[in-house]
Amino acid sequence: MSDRSSATPVLSASALRYRIGDALLLDGVDVELYPGELVGLIGPNGAGKSTLLRNLIGYLRPTEGTVTLEGRPIQTYSARERAKRISYLSQYGPDQFPFPVIDVVEMGSYPVVGMGRAPGVREREAAMRALSYVGLERLADRSFPSLSGGERQLALFARILVQESPIILLDEPTASLDIGHEATLLQMVRDLCEEGYSAIVALHNLNIAAEYCRRLVLMDGGRVRAAGPPDHVLVGELIETSYHTSVHVGRNDSTGSITVSPVPTGGAARDLRVHVIGGAGGGVNISRFLHRTGCTLSGGVAHELDSDARLWKALAVPYVQVPAFSEIGAPDIERAAALVDAADLTVLCAFPFGTGNAANLDLAERAGRLLILDEESGGCPRDFFGDGEALRARFDRLAARHGVHPYRDACRLIEEMLKRSTTA
Amino acid sequence: MLPARRRAAVAFGLAAGLVVSFWAALAFGAVTLPVGSVVRVLVGVVSPGGIDPAELDAPMRRVYAILYHIRLPRAVAAMFAGLALAVSGAAVQGLFRNPMASPDILGISAGSSLGAVLAIVSGLVVLHPLAVPGASFLGALAAASFVYTIASRRGGTHLIYVILAGLAVSSLLSGLVSAVLVFSEEYALSQFIFWTMGGLEGRTWANVTAPIPFIIVLSVVLMFHANPLNLLSLGEEQAHSLGVRVEAIKVSVLVISSMLTAMAIAIAGPIAFIGLMVPHLVRMVTGPNHRTLLPFSALAGAIFLLGSDLVARLLFAPHEIKTGIVTAVIGGPYFIFLIIRYQRRGSV
Repeated sequence: MSDRSSATPVLSASALRYRIGDALLLDGVDVELYPGELVGLIGPNGAGKSTLLRNLIGYLRPTEGTVTLEGRPIQTYSARERAKRISYLSQYGPDQFPFPVIDVVEMGSYPVVGMGRAPGVREREAAMRALSYVGLERLADRSFPSLSGGERQLALFARILVQESPIILLDEPTASLDIGHEATLLQMVRDLCEEGYSAIVALHNLNIAAEYCRRLVLMDGGRVRAAGPPDHVLVGELIETSYHTSVHVGRNDSTGSITVSPVPTGGAARDLRVHVIGGAGGGVNISRFLHRTGCTLSGGVAHELDSDARLWKALAVPYVQVPAFSEIGAPDIERAAALVDAADLTVLCAFPFGTGNAANLDLAERAGRLLILDEESGGCPRDFFGDGEALRARFDRLAARHGVHPYRDACRLIEEMLKRSTTA
Repeated sequence: MLPARRRAAVAFGLAAGLVVSFWAALAFGAVTLPVGSVVRVLVGVVSPGGIDPAELDAPMRRVYAILYHIRLPRAVAAMFAGLALAVSGAAVQGLFRNPMASPDILGISAGSSLGAVLAIVSGLVVLHPLAVPGASFLGALAAASFVYTIASRRGGTHLIYVILAGLAVSSLLSGLVSAVLVFSEEYALSQFIFWTMGGLEGRTWANVTAPIPFIIVLSVVLMFHANPLNLLSLGEEQAHSLGVRVEAIKVSVLVISSMLTAMAIAIAGPIAFIGLMVPHLVRMVTGPNHRTLLPFSALAGAIFLLGSDLVARLLFAPHEIKTGIVTAVIGGPYFIFLIIRYQRRGSV
């Protein structure tokens, strides 16, 4: 690795703009590649990574700005002189024609061979060496379109090796590779950089980018959002706003590099606490809905082995349960009451009431804001057993005060509350 | 690249095939001529002093007349038209990265015919021997550029649009050819068929001598595009990154192929499907590398058209059918077979 401050970049773009019609695909991009560097180009789909790389190899002409290759504007090089300095790998191979793999690799010798001449023994040997370096020598005579996605990428990479240009641009080289091949390929790129090659690699896998690249460039909407070492670029907020998803940024315990993992929506992402009074499976659907929409969920009191209780356990939300067929006692209600009191909304699901769970009505009565689901929603009728008449009367008072909602309406109401809570 | 030995074997086979089919084209027909006489006349024709018919005895004079004035120009016409159509077909397929592209599919042939027909009808034909090939070339180039323009986007041409645009332009121009011929009174029906279907009957030295040097030179120049055509199969970006001047190569291959097609059509009319079928068959035997594909297609195209013309002459002898009918009867089903095959593979 060279010291950046003392070196001049081998490849740089300044104030690059690229426009097609009304679409501004690159909007003032500055990028520099220093000798021996491995730069990871990251960003969501459509960020402009591929467009940038195509501008950097001179295939697309920037609408504004310049690309400088070894101190000279890239357009001043002849095609083959440029190709001796900079190579490029896309995910595209000769799919329509059954070229043997070795021929595809040998195409890397074109900058030296040129138009009129056939590649000779030297070129063939170089192609064979490159192919065995990537571990595909046994496939030399196979037809390229018959290779697997991973083998194709490796064969195309071998073609880059034959080209021997000191600057390498790779556009998502690992897109169709399994993690083994992905690591192998990036390790080979890193080895090349240690020999003095310089590379820019567009990558989707942020963990791989963090592991292998000393410097990352994060693009979004045709601009560079951030550039620098992985721990400066892979910051939760930057990644979340660029990729529009919640992520957890941590460190790999063994290698010490940054890791980024998406956090499934749910958990504590939204600011609405909902307590579900369920039982007999009546709370399953609404609990799943609340979890999915990102509410902070709690549950109880249900009986052990009820599917409600099993779901709350699986979702790892706070809940209260009592053993199957036993009566809900005062200590259980006390614990559940704490959850109800903390909640912004309590949902009373449809399930039969009897002596065993009569205490759940106490919970419903103490809720500040109560949403009662109608009988259709739960799959089991809201019957009243034991001291049935008294229980029914208490329920009817609650229903008169809060109303009874079909499941769809309830979901809609909760979504509205969520919207208000996020905007507030 | 093929192993050298296999390549040499294929080359030898094709060369032998060309000699045999050329000899068959001269020997067979309404009258079968013995090998000895054919060789004698051929040797006489190419020897420095030439051959003086007056010095020949009566039977040999007849052989000479049949060969020199009828069969030889016709065989030469078939050979060079087949060569030009096949080699330009191979190059165009490589350029568009599509084994189903060819000068006839892309409208180049129809444009070429229209140019030729306009030159004849307008009377330009009397000005210069190259007037018909020239007009034919302009028509081909106009059709090719038109198809190329409507099918191309920034950053490349989309294959399916190329084919569709080509078919549309092709039908339009063929319609125009028919219209021009219908409205020009001096045209006999056989001429009409010639310019819509192609054929080799009645070809004389006057028809073939002017285009042949162009066909030879252009084919050789086209073969020098083999490496860049190989690289284009990697897609335009990667070909560019390897040092191919993509736009220049595209224009150059398209112009040369249009010229070759135009020359072939000036000689033999718009003979269908050779440019599609021959390179495809050759590719199945020797692989897609253009360094072998282009020369081998040239040889195979010459053999194929010589053979088709022989079939056209002999099938219903003493009547002959148009050579273009033979190639269309073979080529049409072949094209359908290709479409089904690529459809099964899910890639058109």
